[in-house]
Amino acid sequence: MESILLFVVGILSIGAIYSILCLALNLEAGIDGLWDLGIVSFFGIGAYTYVLLTAPAAENHQHYLLGLGLPIWVGLAAAGLMGGVAALLIGVPSLRLKREYFLITTLAFAEVIRQIYANELWLTNGVAGIYGLNPPFSESLPPNARQVVIFALLSVAVAVTYLIVRSLCVSPFGRALKALRENEALAMTAGINPFAHHIRAFALAGALSGVAGAFYVWYNTLIIPGQFVADVTFFVWTALIIGGIGNNTGALVGGILFVLLHDALRFLPLSNDMAEVVSSVRTALVGVILILVLRWRPEGLLCERPARVRVRQG
Amino acid sequence: MEIIVFGVISGCIILFGALGFSMTLKAEGFINVAHGQMLLLGAYLAFLFSSFGLPMVVATMLVMLCCGVCGVAIYRYLYRPVKSRGILVLLFTSVGVAYAINGIVGAVAGKRVLAYDLPPVRAMRLDGVPIMTVYELMIIGFALIAAIAIHVFLTSTWVGKSIRAVADNYDLARVRGFDPGHTSDYVWFIASALAGVAGVFSGIIGSLHLGMGWQQIIIILAATVLGGLGSIYGVMLASLLLGIGMELGIMVLPSNYRTGVAFLIIIAILFLRPEGLQSLWSPRTGARH
Repeated sequence: MESILLFVVGILSIGAIYSILCLALNLEAGIDGLWDLGIVSFFGIGAYTYVLLTAPAAENHQHYLLGLGLPIWVGLAAAGLMGGVAALLIGVPSLRLKREYFLITTLAFAEVIRQIYANELWLTNGVAGIYGLNPPFSESLPPNARQVVIFALLSVAVAVTYLIVRSLCVSPFGRALKALRENEALAMTAGINPFAHHIRAFALAGALSGVAGAFYVWYNTLIIPGQFVADVTFFVWTALIIGGIGNNTGALVGGILFVLLHDALRFLPLSNDMAEVVSSVRTALVGVILILVLRWRPEGLLCERPARVRVRQG
Repeated sequence: MEIIVFGVISGCIILFGALGFSMTLKAEGFINVAHGQMLLLGAYLAFLFSSFGLPMVVATMLVMLCCGVCGVAIYRYLYRPVKSRGILVLLFTSVGVAYAINGIVGAVAGKRVLAYDLPPVRAMRLDGVPIMTVYELMIIGFALIAAIAIHVFLTSTWVGKSIRAVADNYDLARVRGFDPGHTSDYVWFIASALAGVAGVFSGIIGSLHLGMGWQQIIIILAATVLGGLGSIYGVMLASLLLGIGMELGIMVLPSNYRTGVAFLIIIAILFLRPEGLQSLWSPRTGARH
């Protein structure tokens, strides 16, 4: 019974992390119209920032920079900050490019950044990764209770992210983004500066993804470059498409739903050969679901609703 | 010298993949992410056929046929029905197709790294210096023939002309009596068959593993951007340059950065000259948006 509970908590935790990523992606790709295929860049940068700041200094057999052992709250803030700064640095040159070109550029940056984690031993300990990272409360709580506490924290984080993104959507800023998405030329005549708005949406999404990266480290207690491949970007997009692109509740539901679909089979006790087949079948399943959703319900489970505008009478 | 030779060989393999990719990009206007998985499918099918005892040449021919038919089927039943919904839906449908192919191949073939059972050969020598093996020479020869054949096909045959006409102006081509549905079938057949061959060749000089489709699509994307999105001749030149460039790049950078070099090239090109190499001979007003 307890193991089932822990399994469910584990799946929901990873689902919560995906929900945060989906909300971030929804802000830039659903509300604004940026086709970002590099969201994993900021996820990874956030995760590595968090590790390098909060992990103890590197021991003999490992090499990584810093290892300051700072408190987790500092790590989280820095993860968000670095995610945002990285998005700014990538966004300033890339946002001059449109659609396909922007998409290819962000994908390219994500791959270059991943290769940096994998090859710069002095910075990240390379493909061997960094192990034994203690999640918060690891001293004061038994391991099982710890997972539940992390899940509770993640739930709060999802709620906060949801509120942030939702209030941004209904703010003048969010409405300007929608205007740009629908008709950039018309929005410009209404006095909206496209670049200033796009870059802010991109950087905000980067910051949120960076924080999600730090949570991912809590969940995994280790960090390796293989966690930050382009698959993550495509999975987040898939989750957002399933949930409903442009709809924040859809993004939230999509993240959890995707992880349930993808990971529900993962903890079954299977022989090695079977596990290999099952993991391939899971990959195929993701593809088939994506094709079916786009074919029969391209707006996703929850479609974007037109914002209700209250007109003040008087 | 070795570096140049190896660069040319890998450039030729990129050429097969990128040629088909940019044909579909030009004809349909979307980035077909599943193209990389067509290479994977080709490589594994050739492994299957050669394990039946078929010689490699026959196996390659069969692979071309199978991949071509698969490509047409995927286009007809998966891409064409969602075509009216825009590029983003098409793009992510192709991501779905990519995962589906990758998963199916993985479930059947397993995750082990495989290699073709080819008789080992010694490198041919020129003035006593080893240059390349027979296989590698065949790859280069085949690439040359394919490039010329594609050129002749596109410029001199009715089908080739209709492909170009439909890609340039869909409505005008229809008015002039070309049948766009029919030409698309040819495009997808040729593009997928070429991808299958590219998969077989990259399996011959390297090995077969499940990640090869993703790896190749990245390099193909780089070649396509370098050549100018959708430009057939730009891509031919770009593939060779990229093949040599990547080999030269890893003289300066650690060899693990091989695909990283490809990506740095993409980023640099997009920032400096988004129209790619084709802008050298066909001045156009800005990139296609």
